[in-house]
Amino acid sequence: MILIFGGAYQGKRDFAKEHFGIETVTECAAPGAELAGAEDSGAEDTCAEDSGLAEGHSGTETVLALPDFSGDAVCGLERFARACTEAGLEARDLMEEQKAGWQDKILIITDVSQGIVPMDKTTRAFREMNGRLMLYLASEADEVWRVFCGIGKRIR
Amino acid sequence: MNVLISGGAKNGKSYYAQQIARQMASGQPVTASGQPNADHGGPYPLPLYYIATMIPHDEEDHARIRRHIAERDGWGFETLEQGTDLMGLVRPDAEGKALADPKGVFLLDSVTALLSNEMFREDGSFDAGAAERVAADCTAFARATGNTVFVSDYIYGDADRYDTMTEDYRRALARVDRALAQVCDRVVEVSAGIIEEWK
Repeated sequence: MILIFGGAYQGKRDFAKEHFGIETVTECAAPGAELAGAEDSGAEDTCAEDSGLAEGHSGTETVLALPDFSGDAVCGLERFARACTEAGLEARDLMEEQKAGWQDKILIITDVSQGIVPMDKTTRAFREMNGRLMLYLASEADEVWRVFCGIGKRIR
Repeated sequence: MNVLISGGAKNGKSYYAQQIARQMASGQPVTASGQPNADHGGPYPLPLYYIATMIPHDEEDHARIRRHIAERDGWGFETLEQGTDLMGLVRPDAEGKALADPKGVFLLDSVTALLSNEMFREDGSFDAGAAERVAADCTAFARATGNTVFVSDYIYGDADRYDTMTEDYRRALARVDRALAQVCDRVVEVSAGIIEEWK
């Protein structure tokens, strides 16, 4: 597995496509519940700017969708971490159970660890959930890449 | 050489940018440390410009600007106040004269403020086209001068999602950063004063 991480809007998906020549990228569903702060934040995609994500809403019911590993790469694992946080589940553990599905894939996740501690309790928990997930995925990865201003660098 | 410098707040970006701009203006090779030879306070073989992007709104802003000018004093920078329309600095007027010599060395500190000025206009309106315009302006300026140090800010690490306007701004700055990263010869990240080379 190759892990690609970086801040919001840094061009992680574009880098993955250019550098690794991947053709199919699946998107993690946005959490079913509304996120704090912004009305559209559930469908907002910080992993890529123009992907036209489908919304992860199903009526008023919160649905936790597992990532779809059918493509060459999975993008937006931070949305999965967010959804897990809202559902009270540990993203790291769910990913470990799915290991057979992603161990030969490229995984892309937004690093949300470097800003202000969020006011909202769930967002604080999400920030930590995402960090635990990144630690686990990095420990399992054959290669770890960070993307900065559209430039990728292998850091391990 | 065009250089893009980014990183977190108060990590030494501006200091490093000033160092390498002085090296460029002095005709010295630019070193990774950016440390100029001891004897440099100008004048330099090349004009050395500091592009000040802050548009002052109150006495606090004016005081900050005075402090910054004092800090640069003795380093040989000529300050150009240009809060918007970056290309206006090198655009010739009717007599063929521009505000600055495009063969000089420029330090733009910061891309962040320039975008903010272009996006959130003085009259309170929001300009959605600012991202593309500033990206085009900055890359054109890099090509026109060939010797500009751009300072931007890394504001992409938050877990919180902000209001639409703030997210639009973050996305827009990332758009400009990525465009600049493509045209610049060198891209560096400064953290705790330490230089990480990206390109």
